[in-house]
Amino acid sequence: MLAAALRGLARRCPPRGAAAPGVVGQARAAGGSAAETRPTVRPKNEVEQKQLCAFGEYVAEILPKYVQQAQVTCFNELELLIHPDGIIPVLTFLRDHTNAQFKSLADLTAVDVPSRQYRFEIVYNLLSLRFNSRIRVKTYTDELTPIDSAVSVHKAANWYEREVWDMYGVFFANHPDLRRILTDYGFEGHPFRKDFPLSGYVEVRYDDEVKRVVAEPVELSQEFRKFDLNSPWETFPAYRAAPEPLKIEAGAKKEDAK
Amino acid sequence: MMAVAGRGAAAVKPIFSRDLGEAKRRVRELYRAWYREVPNTVHLYQLDITVRQARDKLRELFVKNAHVTDPRVIDMLVIKGKMDLQETIHVWKQKTHIMRYFHETETPRPKDFMSKFYAGHDP
Amino acid sequence: MFRLPAVRRALARASGACGRTTATAASNQIEVFVDGQPVLVNPGTTVLQACEKAGIQIPRFCYHDRLSVAGNCRMCLVEIEKAPKPVAACAMPVMKGWNILTNSEKSRKAREGVMEFLLANHPLDCPICDQGGECDLQDQSMMFGSDRSRFREGKRAVEDKNIGPLVKTIMTRCIQCTRCIRFASEVAGVDDLGTTGRGNDMQVGTYVEKMFMSELSGNIIDICPVGALTSKPYAFTARPWETRKVESIDVLDALGSNIVVSTRTGEVMRILPRLHEDINEEWISDKTRFAYDGLKRQRLTQPMIKNEKGLFVYASWEDVLTRVAGVLQAVEGKDVAAIVGGLVDAEALIALKDLLNRVNSDTLCTEEIFPTDGAGTDLRSNYLLNTKIAGVEEADVLLLVGTNPRFEAPLFNARIRKSWLHNDLHVALVGSPVNLTYTYDHLGESPQILQDIASGKHAFCKVLDQAKKPVVVVGSAALQRSDGAAIHAAVSTIAQNARTKSGVGSDWKVMNILHRVASQVAALDLGFKPGVEAIRKNPPKVLYLLGADSGCITRQDLPKDCFIIYQGHHGDVGAPMADIILPGAAYTEKAATYVNTEGRAQQTRVAVTPPGMAREDWRIIRAVSEMAGMTLPYENLDQIRKRLEEVSPNLVRYDDVEEANYFKQANELSKLVKQQLLADPLVPPQLTIKDFYMTDSISRASQTMAKCVKAVVEGAHAVEEPASC
Repeated sequence: MLAAALRGLARRCPPRGAAAPGVVGQARAAGGSAAETRPTVRPKNEVEQKQLCAFGEYVAEILPKYVQQAQVTCFNELELLIHPDGIIPVLTFLRDHTNAQFKSLADLTAVDVPSRQYRFEIVYNLLSLRFNSRIRVKTYTDELTPIDSAVSVHKAANWYEREVWDMYGVFFANHPDLRRILTDYGFEGHPFRKDFPLSGYVEVRYDDEVKRVVAEPVELSQEFRKFDLNSPWETFPAYRAAPEPLKIEAGAKKEDAK
Repeated sequence: MMAVAGRGAAAVKPIFSRDLGEAKRRVRELYRAWYREVPNTVHLYQLDITVRQARDKLRELFVKNAHVTDPRVIDMLVIKGKMDLQETIHVWKQKTHIMRYFHETETPRPKDFMSKFYAGHDP
Repeated sequence: MFRLPAVRRALARASGACGRTTATAASNQIEVFVDGQPVLVNPGTTVLQACEKAGIQIPRFCYHDRLSVAGNCRMCLVEIEKAPKPVAACAMPVMKGWNILTNSEKSRKAREGVMEFLLANHPLDCPICDQGGECDLQDQSMMFGSDRSRFREGKRAVEDKNIGPLVKTIMTRCIQCTRCIRFASEVAGVDDLGTTGRGNDMQVGTYVEKMFMSELSGNIIDICPVGALTSKPYAFTARPWETRKVESIDVLDALGSNIVVSTRTGEVMRILPRLHEDINEEWISDKTRFAYDGLKRQRLTQPMIKNEKGLFVYASWEDVLTRVAGVLQAVEGKDVAAIVGGLVDAEALIALKDLLNRVNSDTLCTEEIFPTDGAGTDLRSNYLLNTKIAGVEEADVLLLVGTNPRFEAPLFNARIRKSWLHNDLHVALVGSPVNLTYTYDHLGESPQILQDIASGKHAFCKVLDQAKKPVVVVGSAALQRSDGAAIHAAVSTIAQNARTKSGVGSDWKVMNILHRVASQVAALDLGFKPGVEAIRKNPPKVLYLLGADSGCITRQDLPKDCFIIYQGHHGDVGAPMADIILPGAAYTEKAATYVNTEGRAQQTRVAVTPPGMAREDWRIIRAVSEMAGMTLPYENLDQIRKRLEEVSPNLVRYDDVEEANYFKQANELSKLVKQQLLADPLVPPQLTIKDFYMTDSISRASQTMAKCVKAVVEGAHAVEEPASC
């Protein structure tokens, strides 16, 4: 059992870093009534969180070559940040290891953060039906660095990778059938990249002269709805809570530094 | 942190081609494949253009990227070109997609004052 | 210091502080703390203002910068350290050493409690409320309110009042902040609104059903913090977050009020005021606000040519431009003339002037008459509102001559009222007695009285002589009579005398002209001749009407074969008599320069594209010039503005008032005028509010304005109510 294995592990390697997010979570959990007054916030489960922490460490210890960081976000979401070279070994390990059994690839997607050196973050969400547990594996790449296709590990990755290729332009090496999946034939550009204009580059219309649909460069003469994004709450800036610092950003920065 | 030290990334990971020569070879292969496919395409899609015109356009599109020297970028362009070719060969595309290369219906934007005046309200 | 709200002034006086200058006040500033952060403020400052100075905004409903303090909404309750109860920040003056806790538990609880009481009777109809998205109550309840209700009882309901065709009332939504009542009685000067009943039964209304008859009535829509007062024409048409806002300038009077044009899907949805302390503060007149529907009706959208049967037929731009160019080429310079109307921008004016100068003609007239005898329009000081609009607040004696500022320039009138209310401004009027919103000495109707005052024989001279900062304002209509030059001369003498007697410095101007149309100052600056007399005397063969819609010249005044070109945006008075119609752009459709009556250049911006084939005016003239083979040397806005700068640099120094001087010389020259004053009484053209609404081609095309006239004449019930919710 995963829980048993983890408990055993926890005994062998006591928690190391004082900055582990789990510790922060414990401190917050101290106020028991706080959860009651915030019905929209998911209640946290300390036991589950500890287990996840321990499992993350366990994986990191077994695959030190690939796992750069393991973290628990939002109290119960385990994340592994890995080097792009390690996709196949890490996914294979998570699929086949007795204590992991993450046999189902629930989702594969990407995030574009243009300010980073490796602007694309590739995210694998895995599910272990055996232990009713989920894990998220993240890696990174840029426009030109190919990334290993996960199709050899999870068949489900096929169309997800086609989607990422189509929407972000990330090339997956050794993919059996990498071609567009959502955009129109002849479409240029990758729409989910942050630098892709909201209006696109071309607009299509039916042309009566040539009797077919034609694509022409977008003209912005037509007024499309432009929303005013000034929040009325800006008028009371003093009463607003400061936004929470982003944990994932911090982890990513560390990667870049290496 | 539970972080475990990772390794530094390799200098540059090639897509396919290790050097420019190899990349150029791939471009030539792609060009050849397209060149052979052109008459077939014109026929299959019942295009109202000659094979000559289509090949001129093909050459134009290749020459447009002649300035690229990074083998990785060339590889990426070749990958997209191959994808395009595949879509063309299998007739996944339709006539309109092929004819988009020719920009037939686009009118040049007015330049001088009078033609701008007649055309519309643009400054 | 003079522009402080009444209460602060009153408080300042009460606390024995010197209210004259900030320099003396600086020495006895007191220190208070806002959330522990020290702030230095003048004595008499309210808690709310002290917090504002520290950069913290206190939530409020009833408090408004420009109105007196009511202190009845209680939303601004804050805790003061060591005070037993929270205090209403808007009404409480600070004391030395106070620590104001704006976000303490007590303050937050107080706000939440007040909000709960306000919401007890407020209907939950935000989804169908026109205020939704810009509602203070909505925003502040999101920010400070509780997220659940304890109220299980029935809500109060209030009957809606019909207060005219402009303002829609949904009185159930009213939270009794009384802002509208205070606005009506303080700024608009109409005591129409008030409260009836007490406690839960309190209602805001007119007591007996009547129309809220004010030329500034639209502003109560803006100051209403909830959806109780909304705009009738705008009702259920757009949401604030889906409109595009363009900052522009109003041209329906000569003040050039700053406005925001809200557009959606290429249509003007509404017009709101924009803050400009020196012109309109944050108010605009009803004509400015509601005449926008005139921009969508009776528009000229295509070029037209009159055929042999005398009917207009649509034509293409190529055709009309060729035709106009041909006509211009065929005649001699002396046979070409142009008349410009009241809504024309400076760019079009300069382009037209350059075009006519190229064909060797200099007969360029404005519709508005201005006396040219004496110094005439050669000295700029002769035709400007030299004291400036805000300057009235400093004045102590004001003489109005032949004008009704309430309807000719409503916001100037609001300034006069403000000064009358707070600074004891003494106002006197020569001309027809009209209902201004303040008391004044009526000196008489005859212009002869001006003569008496000028020569020092009139009783009013004593008042004028004792004035420290006198102002004389003459309406442009008074100068358009046949004895206009004599009136101008008399007023000039009065102003010059008052000036010497008062002994004010050279930076204080006395002589003022109040114009009624937006284009006049720019036209005079560019050297247009005022009045069409020259054209009547020498009828031209080709007449170019640029937005000339006041009907100052008719077909009968011109020879039969005269070729008339009309360029403008509305099919109003000028277009029917033309042979060719060139459709132009209205003020919301072009980036253009307008100079207001103070001589302040401001620019409008493009909010929507001109309808159909209409084009910006100066571009049309530029296109004509190219077709006629005498291309004008500008192709874009920058180039034509450069040309404007060459002719008159003040036209492109936006929002800068170019000071005019030479009053003495102007007065000397005016003494050469040999005209006699007539005995006819001075009657301003807009006597009552029904004359106010429809004065130009845009407001004449507006249905809303027509409804206003009908409601004023026949009563508010005459205008049918739209189905309200």
